[in-house]
Parts: sequence; structure tokens; C-alpha cells
Amino acid sequence: MVEDCKGHILVVDDEEALRTAVRRILEMEGFEVKEAHNGSEGISFGTTTEYDLALIDLKMPDRNGIEVLKEIRHTFPNTVCFMATAYASYETAVEATKLGADGYILKPFSPDELINQLNSGIRKRKLLLETERLKKEREESLLEVAFERTRLKTIINSITDGVIVINKKEELAYFNQAALKLLDVTYLPLGIPVTEHFPIEVAQLLSEKFFEVEEQQSSFSIEVEIKPNNELILEATFSPILQADGKLAGVVVVLKNITEFKRLELIKSQFVSMVAHELKAPIAASIGFIDIMRKPELNISQEQQIDFLNRTHGRLQSLLTMVNDLLDISRMELNKVTREIKEVIVEETIAEVAGLFTVELQKKDLTLSLPGPDEKHIIKVDQNEFLRLLTNLVSNAIKYNKEHGTIYITVKADAYYTVISVRDTGIGLRPEDKDRLFSEFFRAKNEFTKNIHGTGLGLSIVKRIIEAYSGKIECQSTYGEGTEFIISFPVIPIEQA
Amino acid sequence: MEYKRTILVVDDDPDIVNQVQVMLEASGYKVLTADSSREALEIFNREKPDAIVTDLMMEEMDSGFMLNYHVKKTEHGKKIPVIMMTAAAHVTGYKFDAYTSDEKDWLKCDALLNKPISIEELISKIESFYEVN
Repeated sequence: MVEDCKGHILVVDDEEALRTAVRRILEMEGFEVKEAHNGSEGISFGTTTEYDLALIDLKMPDRNGIEVLKEIRHTFPNTVCFMATAYASYETAVEATKLGADGYILKPFSPDELINQLNSGIRKRKLLLETERLKKEREESLLEVAFERTRLKTIINSITDGVIVINKKEELAYFNQAALKLLDVTYLPLGIPVTEHFPIEVAQLLSEKFFEVEEQQSSFSIEVEIKPNNELILEATFSPILQADGKLAGVVVVLKNITEFKRLELIKSQFVSMVAHELKAPIAASIGFIDIMRKPELNISQEQQIDFLNRTHGRLQSLLTMVNDLLDISRMELNKVTREIKEVIVEETIAEVAGLFTVELQKKDLTLSLPGPDEKHIIKVDQNEFLRLLTNLVSNAIKYNKEHGTIYITVKADAYYTVISVRDTGIGLRPEDKDRLFSEFFRAKNEFTKNIHGTGLGLSIVKRIIEAYSGKIECQSTYGEGTEFIISFPVIPIEQA
Repeated sequence: MEYKRTILVVDDDPDIVNQVQVMLEASGYKVLTADSSREALEIFNREKPDAIVTDLMMEEMDSGFMLNYHVKKTEHGKKIPVIMMTAAAHVTGYKFDAYTSDEKDWLKCDALLNKPISIEELISKIESFYEVN
């Protein structure tokens, strides 16, 4: 409005002659003028369009000027309003100013007087608009700041890591929800020295580490056990918050829950310990035998020497098997097994495995019941892996069988699975041993198994192999009567193989 | 050969039992054997040996300690050395440190030997126990 001309002016007066004169003067000065014939029209125009300035006659027959002033101001508080009045109503004009008019012009007025007044009115209008603009801008930026704060707060409260800020007076300045949960506390007051409200160990730690950060002015991480017995372990990373001048303003502590990670680490180190122990046993036994034979003063008979040598050989042989088994497990874990998948006739592989154990079967006088000669089931596997699987199962069925026992091997198939069962009439499993059957190095220990050697890895390997083919293995066993292992290979549709 | 003392050798590994037996017998000891802590405790109560050499991990991880605990509770047990043999040294990650007095009770064996054990060390542990006591 102010931009495209000098200003938009509403003239409200019931005297036509005066309106025309004013319009002429103002238009010559570059103003745009709108005339209102009476008070009502003045209100109507003045409240629908925002004029830069309104010149309102104080005395009009329908509505008086003050009413018009109030209405316009109500709608557009930045419209500059001048009251026009005769000497006679000077008092009223002053009253109008008190009510919010920006000035008054005494009638009759000269063109110069009018223009001077209106120019100052326009200047005022510009000031008002500028103020309005600044105010609006300020409000907007305040809103933005408020929004930004909420947003940051929401973000920090949403992350799963705990965040704690400690100011340089070692008081708690900020924390998020995750911090409460991770520190196992329900409430933390702000502005209280950290030593007062945290669990004692955490408080000491925070205080202690605060000094370290202050001295080193760099980040570092430590592990903190919040709940004993590895129930809740945190990694706390302390970082300095520096002021512009490089002085320490506070410390931000980020808490990360590493309980699960530590648990896996523990399992791993326990497994390594177990492997070390299992590998050491046959080595210790072998060295023991060799030590004895190296001592002439022990006077070992030749017969006994041969026995010791054979036993040493046996222990080393089983050590080798164990190392190979471990390497296989490791390859399977890393998914580094290369499989040559092709169609294999299950019954043929079973016959091949049976051939490998002829001597062992005879030693214990065991009967092996194989599938009938006409049976033929085909599965898609890596032949060597399948051979390994069956060898492990049959070897167990022999080792844990009773003398003169039987081993039954059967194969059957439905639309989904090819199912192979290896059942023995052996010593069976105790119910409590069944759960741990497939864990590495587990070997059932009871009066029957004392003299049975094994690595404790065979079934673990069987399970890994069958699972690599998305199959499953089940075990049914009655202690003292026998055990049956049932393995199911899913039938793979031709196009997927 | 003159039999000096009777030693009970306990291990679920028959090779180890055999070796320790051969070596101790060559040094003049009388040897009794057991392959579980349960059997060992029976023999201990019946035969009252002069020393026990036992493996640590048999049926359970701590069955050697278990045996030691029960032996040391008896009158005779307090008078004889119990020597633990294990392939699980500290390097394998098992912790044998005891903190509370209860835990120390569990670990009150008289010596801990690493497998493979040296017979000279074993005999010196047994004999030094009797020299001191």
C-alpha cells in the first residue's frame, strides 16, 4: 500500500464539498483517496481494507467519529487515524486523541496544513508497520527456537544410549530417559551435585572421571558394572564440553548398554577355555606315557611299553580327530563350507558307511539292520558331508550300544521330508543329558560311558550339517534301553536345487 | 620294595590314573585308584589313604574341589594332603582365586599341579606335607 503510491487514505466526512477538496489536494500530492459519505460507510470501508491513514470527521449525523475510530482500530490497529474537527469541538478532539486517535486537524485547514499533518501520519504509519514486522519476526524466531528445543529434547530422549551432562560445578545439568533406565534409578534431580543422587559407585566414578576429563580435555571410555553378576554392564564415554575460550564448561557422559556384548564375549572365552582343556587332556596323557618310557629306572616291561605306545597313539589319533572336527565347526560357523550338491541315493551311502564299521560291529557282536535292497530314496546334498553325518551317527550307535545289540537304520519319505532313523539298543540317555546332547564337548558321563572315547563334537557337527540343509534332528531315548536319532531332510523342489 | 604310604589316585582319564600309578608304585608307594569323586570318597572313607591326588574336572567342573571339601571335613582328611591335578591352568581362563572365607574353604587343597604332572614334583608335595606336619 505504502509502496505503490504515497499512501491509501480513507476520508470519512458527511460534507461533500470538503471531501472533494481534500481528495483534490491529496491526489495532487500522490495519495490515493477513498471517500466515505458517513460514519457507517467509514466503518464499513475502514474495516474491510487496511488503509494507511484515515481522516475522520468528528461530527457526523449517523455515527460519530469516535465510534468510527474505535471500529477501524479494532480491526486494523496500525491504521493511523486523524480526527477532523471545528474549533468548537476542540475539547472532543483532545478526548479523541486520548482514546487513541493519532492526531487532529482543526477545520478549516489550509492545504499545506493538511499535507504536513498527513505526511507525519504516513511516517508514523511506516514506523508502526516496521515495528509490527520486527515483532512478528521476533515471535517467529522465538517459535523456531522453542521448536528446535523440543525437537532436540525429543531426539535425545528417543535414543537408546543414556546421556548425562554434568556442569563444571559437578552438578547434574541434563539427563535423558535412557540414562535413568541404564543407571537403574527412577528419579534424578537437576542441579544437585552428582555425588548426592547417583548410586554410590556411579557417583564416585563420575566425580573421579570428571577430574580426568578436566585434566586431559579429551574423551575416553570405561566399563561400569551397574548390576552385579554381569546383569547390567555399561560403557560410559566421557567427553569434555569446552567453552569458546577452551575452558571446561562441563562433561557429557554417553552410556551404552554392553551387557549382551559382554555375555557373548564370556561365552566365547569359555568356549576357548573348554577347547584348550579338551586339547590339553590327550596331550597330557601322551606326554605322561612318553615320560614313563623315558625313565629306565621304572623298569617297564616290554609288554607294558607296547601297551603304552598303543595308548599314546590312540590319544594322539583322537586329538587329531578333535582338531579336524573343530576346524570343520569353525568353517561351518563362518559359512565357509563349499558344498557340491548333487543327487545322492540315501541307501547307497548307508551301505558305504556300514562297510566302514565292519570291524567295530564284529568286536561288539552287533547286528546292523539296513533298509531293504529295493528301497531307493534320493536327496540333494554334498556327498561327503552326508557321509560324515551318517558316520557320526552310526559310530555313536556302535560306541553306546551293548554287546550283541542291534542297530536299525531306516529311510522313509513323505511330500516334505526324507526321514532317516538310526536306532540302537544301547545304554540310552538320562533325561537331564538330552538337552545338552548337541553342545560342543558334551559327553554323557555315567557308569557305562567311562571307557568310551570321543571328542564330544560328533553330534554338534551332525546338527550343524543337518541345519545347513534346513533339516532337523530329533532324539528319542530311554535310559538303559537305547537311543534313536531321527534326521529329516526337506524335499527340495527340482527347480530350486 | 618297601611300601611307604598309600596314595589314592583319582581321575576319569584311565591313562592318567595308570601313569600316576606306575610312577608312584616305582617309588615305593601303595596306590589305590578311583575314576570319579564319588568312588574316591568311598575308598577314602574305607581305606584312609595317606594322600589323595585328584583331577579337578571329572563328572562336573569342580568335582575335584567337591571331593576335597568332603575329605577335609573328616578327622582323617585334615591330616593328609590333597593334591589337585588339572589341565586347566589360569591361562585357560578358569579362575581359581578365592575371595570369601566360604570360597577359600572350597579351595583348601594342599597343592595344585598342572598336567602333564611331574612325578618328582608330586612326590615332593606329598613328602613335604609330612615333613612340615
